[in-house]
Amino acid sequence: MNFRLSVNGIERHVDVPRSTTLLSVLRNNLGLTGTRYGCGAGQCGACYVLADGRAVASCLTTVEQAASQAITTVEGLALGERLHPVQDAFIAEDAMQCGYCTSGMVMSAAALLERIPHPSEDDIRAALDMHLCRCGVYGRAIRAVKRAAEVGR
Amino acid sequence: MSSGGRQPEVLERRIRIEPDGTVVALSGKIEFGQGIRTAFAQLVADELDVPIERVTVVLGDTAQVPFDVGTFGSRSVAQESPVLRRAAAFARTQLIARASETLRVPRERLSTADGFVCDGGMRVAYADLVRQRPLSGRIPDDVPARDPSERRYVGKPMPRLEARDIVTGRARYTADVRLPDMAYGVVVRPPVRGAAPRAVDDAAARAIAGVVAIVRHGDLVGVVAEREEQARAAADAFEVDWVVKRPAEGKRWTIPIREDAGVDEAIAGGATRLEASFSLPPITNAPIGPSAAVADVRADAATVYAGTQRPFGLREELATALGLDEQSVRVLPQLPSGTYGRNSSGDAPLEAAILSKYAGRPVHLQWTRAEEFAFAPTRPEAFLEVAAALDASGQIAAWRYDEHTNVHTGGGFDPRWGAEASGRNAEPHYRIPRARVVLHIEPTPLRTASFRSLAASENIFAIESFMDELAHASRQEPLAFRLRHIDDPRLRAVYELVAERSGWGHTRGERQGLGIAGTIYHGTYIAEVAEVEVDASGRVRLLAVWAAVDPGLTLNPDGVRNQIEGGIQQSASWTLFEELRRKDARIVTSGWETYPIATFRDAPGEIDVAVAGDASAASTGVGEPGAVPIAAAIANAVFVACGARIRELPLTPERVRRARDA
Ligand code: FES
Ligand code: FES
Repeated sequence: MNFRLSVNGIERHVDVPRSTTLLSVLRNNLGLTGTRYGCGAGQCGACYVLADGRAVASCLTTVEQAASQAITTVEGLALGERLHPVQDAFIAEDAMQCGYCTSGMVMSAAALLERIPHPSEDDIRAALDMHLCRCGVYGRAIRAVKRAAEVGR
Repeated sequence: MSSGGRQPEVLERRIRIEPDGTVVALSGKIEFGQGIRTAFAQLVADELDVPIERVTVVLGDTAQVPFDVGTFGSRSVAQESPVLRRAAAFARTQLIARASETLRVPRERLSTADGFVCDGGMRVAYADLVRQRPLSGRIPDDVPARDPSERRYVGKPMPRLEARDIVTGRARYTADVRLPDMAYGVVVRPPVRGAAPRAVDDAAARAIAGVVAIVRHGDLVGVVAEREEQARAAADAFEVDWVVKRPAEGKRWTIPIREDAGVDEAIAGGATRLEASFSLPPITNAPIGPSAAVADVRADAATVYAGTQRPFGLREELATALGLDEQSVRVLPQLPSGTYGRNSSGDAPLEAAILSKYAGRPVHLQWTRAEEFAFAPTRPEAFLEVAAALDASGQIAAWRYDEHTNVHTGGGFDPRWGAEASGRNAEPHYRIPRARVVLHIEPTPLRTASFRSLAASENIFAIESFMDELAHASRQEPLAFRLRHIDDPRLRAVYELVAERSGWGHTRGERQGLGIAGTIYHGTYIAEVAEVEVDASGRVRLLAVWAAVDPGLTLNPDGVRNQIEGGIQQSASWTLFEELRRKDARIVTSGWETYPIATFRDAPGEIDVAVAGDASAASTGVGEPGAVPIAAAIANAVFVACGARIRELPLTPERVRRARDA
């Protein structure tokens, strides 16, 4: 089936079965591999993207559902060469090791700051809780989100 | 290893200066989040006197880098730094020598700056000096390093070189490799590892749209299709009659690590005697990104993209499996999801290569989360028995320690170095006049492979918990009790530093407590203090952790902190939550819901890492040591908080309740 998607502000067309996940379309059709596969079951957060500004698991979103929303992936978060404050803050705090979980975390953090510009530490922990990081950068990620909130957009 | 052995280090395999002035530094070590690319770039930039942006570090590409046995443990920086430093320093002296000829100026008058050799106002670019004749030659052992005052990068905090690519999604992990004409492979899995297909009915699988190849190769059954979903649907459509093979029972070994005379007698005659046993369940590396590989296998050559810690070892295995000679196989290590040792087994690359060979196309293979849990190797369970006696003054008089566990690496037990791996840190770093320490290798049902810090975390959990028990049993303060048995000033220093930073000795709130533990791990000195709170239900909450670490000369202090923090966070997760569920040899854990790990909500409010490296000592690894003492520090804190001594991990609420209310 043909679907028209809006991804990072660009209109894209794909021809895939309607049950295909948004994750698969992003990675395998559109070459946007920054959105990562971790579990395929909504349990790890590696695949999070923004759908109309809300952070969602792209592994649980079908292409059909995605077609009616504006999708932003990690590749579309920066404004050209200017990074989103969350991205800058993750670099400044070195809030990553292997970085596999980072794209998902960055997307949820960006969505959180849209919703709550000055989140408390508990807000941050709650908003990011579905993002598993095996390398253990939780503390740094919390600091990075606080830093991004201070800088604002 | 056929291509292996120690070959003399030559400059052309270490440093290359490209026509555009880029400096390429080459190493067989692998980056997996521990920051070695940045550390290597820093020291090459300093030693060769070029801006760091101009340094490209190539890691592990078997077509370019010198042979390397693999990136194990956390010693990569330690082992490799001196070689790269010498290579870069040698390159610089060569460049100065060439410039002296070109400019007809004596060498002593020349200096370097930003990729140029300079003589007052005159200067010549490195690139111009190598245009006719690339740098080459045997790297001498005694090239002097530049004066530390001339360093611009080493020792200064700086963001990792990959950081920008990671936060923008541009970083390319193994599963992100896309090749022209690439297809997707899936392996048909048996109910349990090591089963053989007796009969395969692939009729339904063949009927699925997009299927490119059905593969049967030895015990491997698989399918390749245009899309990943098609390959997976086809794999599900197979009817396979599997014969479960009984895994070969591993051999038993008894390896004495230390054997002094008269230990049993001394224990029997001690003023205070204590014994206890500790146990830890099997756990798994559980990378967030499951195993992946992309292989492009042709009739006479193969290129394999993989997250591997031993590219040359993998190349050899691939060559054997594909019937190619090693020189025709190129392994290109990609940025892997952190795997904490797991990547030293090469399952996915071998599977992808075989599928590609049959399909005649490049094949992408990524395991599912369920495959990763069920088929990845594990850290074996461990059972530690310890007994000791104190003399009348409260000093340890004798110590007996029996470690029961399985092999901690892939590929069976090798008595030549097995004790170093499976018995790692079994011998305490305390002054003990008489001790017997024995490693017992006993078969366990699950496949095992390397795991962060190997057996050290298990041994230090037992040893450092037991040190606490001895201190409490003899009414000695736990830190003072340790210090009176420590001769090594560097170990003493990290204990004293962590005590100071954590406010050791000050009582905490109700139901809260501090616990301490430390060790020397491969030359790195570390001591940690954990602060916990135990609620009425027995749930242990980790409030804060302090660590003091001495990894010798420190190249990048914030990189050290990040690694130590990560080790602490991960190991706290093993300690509090993790246990792999199995039924005989079958792992029944299949998703994160049955294998919970620490999340954002569980992260301690603070992890304070004080890096106090002895600059006169060689750099040692920091990827693993952070993980080693934390289990005991937490268990010791739980004891202070609620009086429950837990000797069995994980520290679940039921266990804590049972011990507390007993
Ligand atoms: S891959 Fe989507 S939540 Fe794990
Ligand atoms: S940085 Fe490796 S999983 Fe988070």
